[in-house]
Amino acid sequence: MASLIGRCALVLALALAPAQAQDGSVRIKAAFLYKFGGFVEWPDSAFSGPQAPFVIGVIGGDAFAAELEDVTVGRRVHERAVAVRRLGAGEPPRGVHVLFIGASHDARLAELAAAARGQPVLIVTESLSSTERGSMINFVLAENKVRFDVALPPAEAGNLRISARLLSVARRVIARVS
Amino acid sequence: VKLRTVRAKLLAVVLLTTGTALLFAIGGIAAYDLRAYRANAIADITAEAELLGQASAAALTFDDPAVARENLELLRQRRGLQAAALYGPRGKLYASFSRDASHAFPPLPGADGATVSGNQLIVFRRIVENGEIVGTVYLGADYLLARRLAGYLAIGLAVGAAALLLAYGVSLRLQSLVTGPLLEVAGVAQEVSEKRDFSLRARKLSEDEVGRLVDVFNGMLAEIERMTRGLHSEVAERARAESEIRRLAEELETRVKERTAQLEYINAELEAFCYSVSHDLRAPLRAVDGFSQALLEDFAKEVPEDAQRYLNRIRAATQRMGQLIEDLLNLSRVSRAAIERREVDVSAVARKVVADLQVRDPARAVEVHVWDGMRADADPRLLQAALENLVGNAWKFTAKREQPRTEVGSMRDGPRTVFFVRDNGAGFDMAYADKLFGAFQRLHAAAEYPGTGIGLATVQRIVSRHGGRIWADAQPDKGAAFFFTLDAAMEAAA
Repeated sequence: MASLIGRCALVLALALAPAQAQDGSVRIKAAFLYKFGGFVEWPDSAFSGPQAPFVIGVIGGDAFAAELEDVTVGRRVHERAVAVRRLGAGEPPRGVHVLFIGASHDARLAELAAAARGQPVLIVTESLSSTERGSMINFVLAENKVRFDVALPPAEAGNLRISARLLSVARRVIARVS
Repeated sequence: VKLRTVRAKLLAVVLLTTGTALLFAIGGIAAYDLRAYRANAIADITAEAELLGQASAAALTFDDPAVARENLELLRQRRGLQAAALYGPRGKLYASFSRDASHAFPPLPGADGATVSGNQLIVFRRIVENGEIVGTVYLGADYLLARRLAGYLAIGLAVGAAALLLAYGVSLRLQSLVTGPLLEVAGVAQEVSEKRDFSLRARKLSEDEVGRLVDVFNGMLAEIERMTRGLHSEVAERARAESEIRRLAEELETRVKERTAQLEYINAELEAFCYSVSHDLRAPLRAVDGFSQALLEDFAKEVPEDAQRYLNRIRAATQRMGQLIEDLLNLSRVSRAAIERREVDVSAVARKVVADLQVRDPARAVEVHVWDGMRADADPRLLQAALENLVGNAWKFTAKREQPRTEVGSMRDGPRTVFFVRDNGAGFDMAYADKLFGAFQRLHAAAEYPGTGIGLATVQRIVSRHGGRIWADAQPDKGAAFFFTLDAAMEAAA
């Protein structure tokens, strides 16, 4: 028990450490990505059954995927086990609940967003002005800290409900298409 | 405190009851309210902490101290909240807010729950998000139990004072309901005892216990009145009877006095008559005797022998009559003479009497034995007269004895001295003993034993005048004994 609490504390400490270095920001982004799950509600139809895992798909970012796997070990989102899936090029983002698109694959965003349109998939990105191109949550660096913007229209289109509490800590919330 | 009057006692009861009821009521309400206040305060602040935790979970999760501070700043609107803080998952102070800049935040969060510290209610609450602890909420709020208690005390005092004042006023007005009838009874009781007038009655002013007291009291008064009236008539009756008795006694006394006076007068008359008759009879008797003697001596030769014999018989008769008159005079004298008591040598008196008898009748040789040392408190003259008669009788009634014997002695019978004169003479039949001491009573023929029948009557008169008693014991031909006492006191004591 003590060791478990210790490990949790360690993990959290790592997650909340100031994101100054590149590695640090990756780790923080990975932690944030996993935690977004708790502030977003998926429709029941997004899961094949009560035992179905919560799947996070990662495109373009092996380091990120590895970090995410580290963070999510033994953790659950919405009472479901967390599974990290690395998506290869051309592989359609099917069966994932969160889709992270690394900056290196920003070019595929529009295509993937169009493919996932209407699906309950939370698309998270880390590139400039990506929210105007279908991304729902976009990481940004502000004052040496990892923050994020939230775009509500695509999420609403995908039947996702983002908690107001998450919005309260977002750097920017885009309510409608400008 | 001593309560002297029923009014004061009633007042005390009312005020005490009211005060106690108020005390318990206010105490109960205060206790309930303070309990509720505490429970509510804890529930409120716990809910507050929960809300803050919920609101701040995202800020902590995504490391946004600005948002966390904003959330805390919102609490400024909440009255009574003095300080609030958020601690990170590792227990580090993350964001804080306080009205008072000097507020000391605990360096590390405490265990979940609410605690009271002085006038501060402090609560810690872990923020759990998605099954993980993301931080801790700290809230410090005013906990004004003491002030609330003081408020209750003030309200209690004010309400209590007002209620007691009201109760005092009301009970003062109501008291007359209780004390009025009591005072009525007490007043009547006092009037009764002062005036002794049992016809007074108390008015019945109420139908309660006091009313019953009034009934009982009036009943007692009626009973006392009845008894007093009976007593009065009884006393009057008794007084009347007593005065009647007194009147009768007085009447009786006057009648006794009258009778006594009459009797004394008759007695004196009789004695005077008797004395004068006896005295006056002696002169003619002496003349008869004298002239008979003169005839016998001067005309002895001329008077025939038969006539001389007759004259001698005349002389004997006159002499006997003279003796009779002498005795009657003696009896009369004994009755009238005043008694002069003194110490008397009875033995000496008796010997003198015997000597006189021997001188008068030297032919008789009677053996008379007189005891030595006999003394008495008596009239010497009368005692001598009594002994002359008694010893004379003994002398006379032993005449036919060959060895006549007489004894004069005394014996003690308890406190009294009994004197006796005893002989071995003719004696008498005790059947006639009651006639012995009457005048002119004789138990023997005069021819046999000469006498007037007045001697023993005289003796009895002397003894009774001394207050003594005389009695006799005898048998025919076996002698007689006469006993007498001379002391009334001794006689009474015996």
